[in-house]
Amino acid sequence: MAVYSFYIFDRHAECVYKRRWLPRPASIAGKSRPTSDTPTVANGLATMPSTRTTDDDAKLIFGTVFSLRNMVRKLGGEDDNFVTYRTSQYRLHYYETPTNIKFVMLTDTKSPSMRVALQQIYINLYVEYVVKNPLSPAEHPGGLGVDNELFEQSLEQFVTRVLS
Amino acid sequence: MPVYSLIIINKAGGLVYQREFQPGLRKLSTNDYLVLAGTFHGVHAITRSITPKIPNQNAVSVTSSTTQTPTPTTTAAAAAAASPSSTSVLSPSSTSIPTPTPTPTPLSTTSTTTPALPPSTSTPSNATYTYPIPNLPLSGLETLESDKFTLTCFQTLTGTKFLLFTDPQMANIEGIMKTVYELYADYVMKNPFYQLEMPVRCEAFERGVGGFLRARG
Repeated sequence: MAVYSFYIFDRHAECVYKRRWLPRPASIAGKSRPTSDTPTVANGLATMPSTRTTDDDAKLIFGTVFSLRNMVRKLGGEDDNFVTYRTSQYRLHYYETPTNIKFVMLTDTKSPSMRVALQQIYINLYVEYVVKNPLSPAEHPGGLGVDNELFEQSLEQFVTRVLS
Repeated sequence: MPVYSLIIINKAGGLVYQREFQPGLRKLSTNDYLVLAGTFHGVHAITRSITPKIPNQNAVSVTSSTTQTPTPTTTAAAAAAASPSSTSVLSPSSTSIPTPTPTPTPLSTTSTTTPALPPSTSTPSNATYTYPIPNLPLSGLETLESDKFTLTCFQTLTGTKFLLFTDPQMANIEGIMKTVYELYADYVMKNPFYQLEMPVRCEAFERGVGGFLRARG
């Protein structure tokens, strides 16, 4: 099982932590934006320009999980939770704490449910090393994010040893 | 194990059909269903574009083959392509020297003349990355799970999306989806009075899909 990336969003929709295990190259050269005469099917099948940074990726992922979560709440009721979705290429797992901190993980399609794993990351790593750290800010305005060596090390260990 | 409801979204993101078969999900107003269809259409496209990209090990060799074309514009582009990759052994001066080795010119010329790759290709030949499953075309969201229901999305080749809301324990949703698609093809698309991309109002389709999906409740 492969874990591709992991994101934490706080309750103000700010990405406070992101980590990718198979990094994208810094810049993708030789690719141009799709021009208007590119044959595109009108249902959004055209790919986005590939010169997207990790920040943009985090924003897109937040938008996706936010929309899907609202959709699920609307249809299933307020106590329903969005858990995961899968495409042909990857699977996205979602866990939201009662304080609206959102944990998102992208894995390969064959991975089992990661809900417990995300919950463990929250309880055993995030609460222990970030929330209980007196030097760590409660809010992250302007985005320094979780800058905590202990947390990053143990997350690394958790993903490489426990999950794969 | 019921099928809760079926939604059909046309290729522009408009809601063309919505029907509930078993109670279980909350009822929304027609306007909310229209909003939901549009939102899902957008999210579906985004889920496709945030597919993780995996760095391609063969990228360096591909870019070095394009550097050997003698046209100045391509060498400049290839030098720009080679310079960000730190592992490249080529220096900018070596790119301007035309080497006599036979080069795959058809490949390099096609890659320079076409403005962009066809969007549906999963393995771009000159890209520095590949997708997790390279031989499988990219797709948007296919199934979504929540505590109370499973949403299965099937997109036809023409871009119409079928959304089936089912019980999480339900098995063989692909088979159900296939039958629904067949009913749609038979009763909607073959109906001479049906206008494309417009809301589906076909009595035979209502009867067919109702009989089939209610029987699984």
